[in-house]
Parts: sequence; C-alpha cells; structure tokens
Amino acid sequence: MKISLNWLKDYVRLDASVDEICRAVTFLGFEVEQVIRTGAPELSHVVVGEVLVRDKHPNADKLSVCQVDVGPAGGVKTIVCGAQNYQVGDRVPVALPGAVLPGNFVIKQSKIRGQSSDGMMCSAKELGVAEDASGLLILTDRPALGTPINAVLPPGDVVFDIEVTPNRPDCLSHLGIARELAAWFRQELVYPEEKFNGDTGTTVRSDLLKSVEVEAPEDCPLYTAHVIAGVKVGPSPAWLQERLTAVGLRPINNIVDIGNYVMLEYGQPMHAFDARKLGGQRIVVRRARDGEKITTLDGKERALNSRMLVIADEARPVVIAGIMGGEDSGVSEATTDLVLEVAHFKRQSVRWTSKRLALASDSSYRYERGVDPHTALEAAYRAIDLILEHAGGRAVGPSFKIGGEAPWQREIVVTHDYICEKLGFEIPEADMETAFRALELTITRTEPTPARGTAWTVNIPSWRDDLDRPIDLVEEVLRIYGTEKIPAAVVQSPGLVGDDDPVMVFNRRVTDYLVGHDFHECVNYTLRPAAELRGWVSQTAAAELALANPFVEDQSHLRPTLVLGLLDTLRLNQSRGVPATRLCETGRVFVERNGQNLECAAVAFVMAEDTARRWRQRPAADFYTVKHHIEALAVAAGIDLSRQPLVPVVGSYNGWQEGHSAAAGEMAHGWGARFGLLNLAMVKSLGVEGKVYAGIFVILPEKLGAGLERRRYADFSLLPASWRDLAVVVDAATPAEEVRKTLAKLARAAAGSRFVLENIAVFDVYQGAGLPEGKKSLAFNLVFRAPDRTLTDEEVNPVFQKIQDDLVAATGYAIRK
Amino acid sequence: MQDLLTALVAKAAAEFTSLQSRPAFEAAKARYVGPNGEFTGLMKQMAGVPKEQRPVIGRLINETKGQIQTLLDTALARIEAAEMQAQLGPAIDPTLPSPDPGPGTHHPLTLVREEMCRILRKVGFTVADGPEVETEFYCFDALNTPADHPARDTQDTFYLPESARFGNVSKKDPGERYLLRTHTSSVQIRTMLKGPPPIRIVSPGRVYRRDTTDATHSANFHQLECLYVDKNVTVRDLKALLDYIFESLLGKATKTRFRPHYFSYTEPSFEVDLSAQHLPKVKKEWIEIGGCGMVDPTVFASVGYDPEVWTGYAFGMGLERLAMLLYGIDDIRYFYQNDLRFLKQFA
Repeated sequence: MKISLNWLKDYVRLDASVDEICRAVTFLGFEVEQVIRTGAPELSHVVVGEVLVRDKHPNADKLSVCQVDVGPAGGVKTIVCGAQNYQVGDRVPVALPGAVLPGNFVIKQSKIRGQSSDGMMCSAKELGVAEDASGLLILTDRPALGTPINAVLPPGDVVFDIEVTPNRPDCLSHLGIARELAAWFRQELVYPEEKFNGDTGTTVRSDLLKSVEVEAPEDCPLYTAHVIAGVKVGPSPAWLQERLTAVGLRPINNIVDIGNYVMLEYGQPMHAFDARKLGGQRIVVRRARDGEKITTLDGKERALNSRMLVIADEARPVVIAGIMGGEDSGVSEATTDLVLEVAHFKRQSVRWTSKRLALASDSSYRYERGVDPHTALEAAYRAIDLILEHAGGRAVGPSFKIGGEAPWQREIVVTHDYICEKLGFEIPEADMETAFRALELTITRTEPTPARGTAWTVNIPSWRDDLDRPIDLVEEVLRIYGTEKIPAAVVQSPGLVGDDDPVMVFNRRVTDYLVGHDFHECVNYTLRPAAELRGWVSQTAAAELALANPFVEDQSHLRPTLVLGLLDTLRLNQSRGVPATRLCETGRVFVERNGQNLECAAVAFVMAEDTARRWRQRPAADFYTVKHHIEALAVAAGIDLSRQPLVPVVGSYNGWQEGHSAAAGEMAHGWGARFGLLNLAMVKSLGVEGKVYAGIFVILPEKLGAGLERRRYADFSLLPASWRDLAVVVDAATPAEEVRKTLAKLARAAAGSRFVLENIAVFDVYQGAGLPEGKKSLAFNLVFRAPDRTLTDEEVNPVFQKIQDDLVAATGYAIRK
Repeated sequence: MQDLLTALVAKAAAEFTSLQSRPAFEAAKARYVGPNGEFTGLMKQMAGVPKEQRPVIGRLINETKGQIQTLLDTALARIEAAEMQAQLGPAIDPTLPSPDPGPGTHHPLTLVREEMCRILRKVGFTVADGPEVETEFYCFDALNTPADHPARDTQDTFYLPESARFGNVSKKDPGERYLLRTHTSSVQIRTMLKGPPPIRIVSPGRVYRRDTTDATHSANFHQLECLYVDKNVTVRDLKALLDYIFESLLGKATKTRFRPHYFSYTEPSFEVDLSAQHLPKVKKEWIEIGGCGMVDPTVFASVGYDPEVWTGYAFGMGLERLAMLLYGIDDIRYFYQNDLRFLKQFA
C-alpha cells in the first residue's frame, strides 16, 4: 500500500528523516518495498525571474544571452540559455550560483562560449518536478520576482510503498500507519476533527431515499446510508488531488475522490450513489439472482449468481457489494443529491465473489483482509464533513443504519514476568506500559502479583482483532521495544540427539557412492509432461499421477522415475557441446500400483557414451557396469541383489530396451530396481544422442526405516583350497545363474559333510566354433575346502566326477571336455 | 687341480656376464653346478685325491664354489633387474591428463544442505523427513492457516485430483485433498504427532509453489526448517540459534537481525535479515534470508501438546536462496539445468 508522508503528518509529528521513518516501518513489522519522491525537492538559490532581454549569442547559433530580473534575490542577471520556448516577459525558475539541482548539479558563475553567465534558467526536469525537458518551465501564474521556487512549485512528497502483513488490516490506511509510527516515535496521534455527528436537523427528504432493506444480514451485518442534497460535483481541490495522485489514484471528481480519500485515511471503503438514479428511491442489500447482470465502473458486463451479494434499487443491482459500483448509478457531473453508503460486508462473501468474478478493487482488498466495523460511522461522518466542505450541499435525513457492529469488548491479562519468560530477557515494566499505551492498548487495571511481577489488564481496541492472547502482547511489547535489542546468547542444546531420517541417510550414502564413482549429482524438476508418461511409462501412470491444476502444460504430472530428468540433463549438455557421461540423482518418485500411488525414495544414474576426445580410450560402460552399480546401491538399502531373482526385461516397456535390461524386486515388497540399456527409440525421441545405460532403485521410505538385522560372523578355514574348473554346454537362452545354482546344489550334495563348496563362479562364457548351433559353454570355477585338513586329489576327484555325472543325469546339459 | 679350478672360474665369469635371459641362466647354471656340470664333475674327483692333499683341495673347491655362486647371484640379479625393467614400458608423462572421466561432483544444493545439517547437528538437531505429497491438514490446518487463506488457493498451490489415492501418505480426515507441500513445515506436524516433546529437528526438502519459473522463482525449490520444542524456549534462544548458524556458515563478521513479521504458525514471528557484505555479489546491507518465530500455541494444541507446558521455536529458509548467496549465483534455473560447467564449480 502506498503511504504519503505529507498525509501522515496530518496525524503525527514526524521530524525524523526519510531513512529513519523507513527503519521505523521496517522494525514495526512492515516491509518498505519502495520509497518514491514526488514533486519538487528542497531547492535553495532557485527563485522566480523574468526575462527582460533575449539576444542571440554572438558565438553560438542555438544559444541566447538574456537579461533576467530576479528582483530582491539579486536584481538583473546575465544568463546564457539554450532553450527556445520562452519569450521576453516570461517568468521562469532561475537557479543562481550556489544552487544544487537534482543529480548533484552545482550551479556556478561560468563562461559559455566566451559569454559570462550568472546562473541557469530551468526546465521542469532540471528541477526534478516532472519529466518535461523540452524547454523552460514557464510560470504562467506570474509569481513575484525573487520568490523561492519551492513556494511556487507544488510541495514535494515522499511515498512509501509498504507491504502490510495479512494480520494487520488496520494498517491499510494512513491512520493505521500513523498510529504505528506515533508509537515508535512516542508521539501523539491526532485524529481528524469531525464536525458532522449524524444530526441532520429537522430537514427530512424522504423523496431521495425512502427505504433501506438488508435481506442478507449474514453477509452484511452493518449498512449505513446518509443522504446529502444539493452538492456540486466538480474537480477536487488541488491538495486532495495531489494526495490521491501521490499514492497512485486518479482523481475523478470531488465526491468520488473524497470517498477514496477517506478509505485511504480510515481503511473503510465507501460508495456514493446518485440518489436520483436509485429506482424507487430504495436500497435493497440482497443476493443477486442467477444470471442477473451488471455493468461495472470498468465498463465490463458481469454475470452474477445467487451466492453474490449486491446493493440493488427496486429493480436491479447497482453495486457488487464491497467490490465495485455499477456504471450507471455512480456520481456524475450532473449529480446533485447523494446517498453515501458505508457498510460492513463479510470477508468470506467479498472474497468469494471477487475471486469468482476475477474482479478486485481497493475496496474488495480491504474487505477481504478485514475492515473494523466499529469505525464505519466515524469514517462516514468524516466523508460527509469533506463533502459538505468541498462539494457543498446539506446532510438531510433520513439516515439509515441497519444492523450493527458486533459488540466489541476484549481484554487480555498479561504479567510482566510472562512476557520476559517468553522473550528470554528482561524488559522493564515501565517500557512495557509505554508500549501498550503507544499502541492505544489501554491498561484498564494494574495489579501486583506475588511472584509474576505486575499483572496488566489490557483493553484491546476494535481494530486490533489480531490480538487475542497474552502471547500476542509479547509481540507488541517486543515490536515497540525493538527487535534489534534482543541480546546475544549462546545456543543451549541439552542432549536430545537422535538419528537422521533413514531416507536422508540412504540418499547421502548412495550419492557419496556414485559421486565417488565419477558421477555428477543432478537436481531435476519433479513435474513432468503428460506425453512423456504416456509414451514411456504407462497410460495408468499418466492417468494417476496428474495434478488437478497444473500451471504449465509440460509440468502436469508427478515424476514416476528420475531417469527422464537425467535424460533432459544429457540433452541439455549435449546441445551445449558439453560432454556429459555419468549423471545421478536422488529424490522422490511416485509409483502407481494397483490403483493407488506410492511416494518413494529413489536413486538413479545414467551412463552415456563418452563423447569427450581422449588421448587414451577406456572401455565403454555396458550392462554389467550398471549391474555392478545397482548392486552397490541396493546394499545401501540393506538389499542383497545377488539373492534376488533378476528378470530380463521382455518387451520394450518403461523405456528399457528388451534383451538388454533387467528388473529386480517388486513394489509389493517395498522396493524395485531396473537397470540396463535404455530404450533406443525413447532416447532418440528425447533428443539424446548415443546409447544410454541407466539404473534406478526405488524404495518405500518406511521400508528404509526398518532396522537391518545384525549380521553374524561365520567361521572360515585357514587351510589351502582345492580348485576345479568345469565347462557346461547349455542352450544359449539358459541363464547362467540357473546353471550355477544347479551346479552348486549338486556340488554341495556330492561333497556331503566331508568338505564344503566354498565358492562357485562363472569365469568364461563361449558361443561359436566348436559348439552346436544354439548352444553356449559356461565355464565355472569351483573352490572346495575343508575346515580341518588340506584336501587331497584322492578326496576331491571322486566328488568332482560325481558332480559331473549328477549334472548330466539331472539336466540336459553336457560337459565340455 | 688348482689350475683347473681357476680356469673354470674364469670361464664362468666370462660366460655369465653375457647371459640375457632366465632360460639361458638356468642352462648355464646347469652346465656348471648341475648334476652333470663341470664344477660338479671336478668335485666328484675329490674321491680320488690322496688323503693328505684333501684339506687343501677341499678348501680350494669350497672357495671356487663360493666364487661361482657369487657369479651366478650377480648374473641372476642382473637378469631380474632387466626383467622388471622390461615390465615397465616407456616412462610416463605426468602432465598428461587421466583419460578416466571424473571426478564426480555433489550438487551445490546438496553441499549447502549438508553444511547446514552439519552445523545444526552440532547443536543437537537431527534430520527429519516427510512426504512431498501432503494433505491440507498437515500443510495448512495444523499450522493454523485459516480455511480462506490465499496460500491455499488453487492459484498458488498444486492439488491432486479428488480421486487420487496415496498408499503411504496418511490423511487426517478422509475428506481432505492431497496437495504438493508448499513448505517443509508439514514435517514438523508429522514429527510432533509421532511422539512427545522435547524435539529438535531440521527438515530439509523439496517444496512446491504454483509460480512462474524465472531467475528467482521455480515450480519446485528446497527449504530447510528447524524446529525446537522444549520447556522454557525463548525468543532470545531463537536469536542465538540464528546467530550461531550464520556465524558458523559465513564467519564471525556475519550479523543477523529480526524484523517483526506475521506467520500463522508462529507468535511472535520474525523475518531474518543477514548482513554479510564479504560475500560475492552482495550489494545490499541487509539481505532477507528466512522466517522464524515462536511456535504458536494453536499449533501445539493441534498436535496434542499442552501449550501451557511446551514452548518452541521454528526457523525456515530457502536452500536455493542460500546457495545463490553463498556462491554468488544469480539465476535459480541453473540449479535445475545441471550444465556440467556449472556442477563442476562446487566440488
């Protein structure tokens, strides 16, 4: 809200500098967003002068040499001037040596092209009063010679653009801000003097307003209407226009301007009707009828409905209550008789209607935030005073007041010690009392307590609905005392330390792992476009993860995976010519499962082709590289992937390439992993070049929270092992793990209790010459060991033979000799 | 005999110095000291030496054996040294870059978050977390946000459709809507509902505002909030925490100030300004860095804590904003573009 300093000074003495006032406003709890200076600044040595003679400059075509009379300020001066818009006899502002014009422009006696000049004649821009730099400011009112220019120019003002917090609707007014500043500077607040007191004498002109009915008192608890007859509508006086202009309002006419002025003064919106345009001379405060229409002051036709409150005459709505008046019932040049409405409308009602119609005004803004109904009449009388003074006319009866202010009585009892306990430091009782009084929080009772210091009963004025509890007064005391005076202290931290949340621990661990493996950690947006989900995730995900009210089209869905964001990152870097290979990210993803969504923790990484040119080439990443990393990530979640069934991805779904990617886990068990080559077509369609390997591990946060079982130590033998190699020929499609498991089972059975199969691992995979079509050879290394002795060939050989015999017998596999 | 032995040593010395490989060495060794070697042959002749000459000849043979062994050791050492040298290949150029990619980098938001968490952990705060999909109760109602507050507008807050169901985000009331949390304060509510005070948590996390993306706004960004609930917590304690945080983060020259403000969930409430003109690109004397206040009794009541007994403070700030300040970054979008030239600057 824009607040004028000149205006504030009507109510409170403010000798402080603009900076000090800004500081006061700031520490009172309002933000000063901007300080705007208007009108002329203080200018010394700038006076009114008259051009007596204008001669062409002997050495310059565009300059003139003038004789200028500044009267008592120094007589006739010779001044060189470049302007063209003046004539001999014009009176103009003259800056004499010693003047400092805006922009720190110092005026000195000088020589211009060999001609001495005793000063400068000024344009409006040079004086800092307007933007007009086209020529000299001609003072058409012909003020006396030598008059200081500030006495001639409109006075300057300082306008503060202040952001008022939503709890302080009382400060959406000059009186409200003045009250706060009065409290800060410990000055008296002077209210406007009011002459009108509601008494209209004996004149009653019921022909102007016959009746006021309020049909919806729940939305309009108070409605007042006063009638003023015989006004003359015309321009407002200059001071009023200047004030409105300063705070950003356009002057219209004296009646409208006074309404706005009093609204900005008291924070109470009001509306003036042309009494003769009220059909039936009646006012009805009612709900609009569905489909009813009104053309508002801004010239737009608005369709209303039955939840909206309107002010109507006998036939039609004339105002949308608390928001905006109708075009044809307002005050015009022809208006002579007025009805002045000052009312209270419920904030919920105004807010709903304003939002529904997408129509806001200074009035609706105030009603939505809360207007104090107890100042309604005061504001009405103030407006009537100003109307009578500046537009003439007479207040005539009858006046109407329908409904009434909800009775206001609020007291808070607070003790000195309570306030100090909440603050953590001592403020003297006298300072607290000063703070209360300064804010017009009247102390109605002061009582000593045995152990809590003085107890005050504080009366809360009606405009401070935000003060309701003792804690609210703590803030008031601190505001006026000054938050800058909170004393320093050392942090007290009695031991409470717990564990960090498991999701955070997991994210740290996997990120550290990946960064340690040369990945760059990325952060991508959570919201993704619908088409991407439909194309590369699933139709159900696209349906279930949609936002109700997306802001932009390409951010309409919750992300079901981190991989797509990482592809964005790859594309961006590629398009900028920055080689990017290894990227990773942790964050929340949203997984659709059985018709409901799960919010999951996730970690993902991509490995793109290394496009950087290097003096020595390293082997490229492949499926088994990402398998290695995904296994490490699973360990951080307490999951051993080697004990989990791994399923090759069949069919190109979820963006993974068939035959080159795999999955493990299920959301039914709280986690899932996917890894391998990303679908080539997807990667291409998303604008990323080259093959991209990726992995993602997703887990429910609550699953991470489950405590891990403590591992138990198992004894191991210190004696030498016995090794055997075995190559098995199987169908090319048979998974190696299936063969390994079969072999391990048979080996354990064959060794029995004599010794153990310590390890069995595939060390060679071969397909091609020497093997039948469609077959492959898997070579395994078996490690046998006994706990108590060195194994001999005599012991191991028969067992190894039995394993081979059992394998051939139990499966269709062949032993490769 | 002596001549024979002397000649053998001379011959061995000549032969061994020219040995170039291990097989040649083994063959040469066999020729002298192997079962059929020349020296072995001479030793065998000892049997025919008269008894009285034996001590002399024996000493000679022992000396010769020692000399040959020394020659063999020397030759072997030379060959082994040559073998090791052969493993090495040409000398490296230490100035060539490593052809491996890397090193990896942590994102600047992670670095700032972790630094804050470390600072806070020293004074007893541990990390709490909560869902990003929230409900109206946890995000607004429990935080004393009135039902008609503009922050709850569909203008400003992302909502999920009425039909949306989240299996692992609990609702307080079955009728309430799911939304994307607008602040991490919802974590405070969930933490307080989970257990009794005292509580001292920091909750960093992602939040959402329905806002135009530009240099300073983003559809999602990150916040970090502190909550402390205990008996007799005061405004002065809160100020002490803020002073501690920013002195730890930015050095002793850093100052903070409180400006009274309004938040529905704290009373009194303050905005926190920071004076740290030693930071890059900081021109203003005071920079707004976050909001804080004493937990409003209404919030305690809504989580079942007795407001007469418990007191507390809360502080929240934007992580992007802090990172921008710390590093002198002037566009929030850089955090989400992940240009490697950007990411590599903070490792």
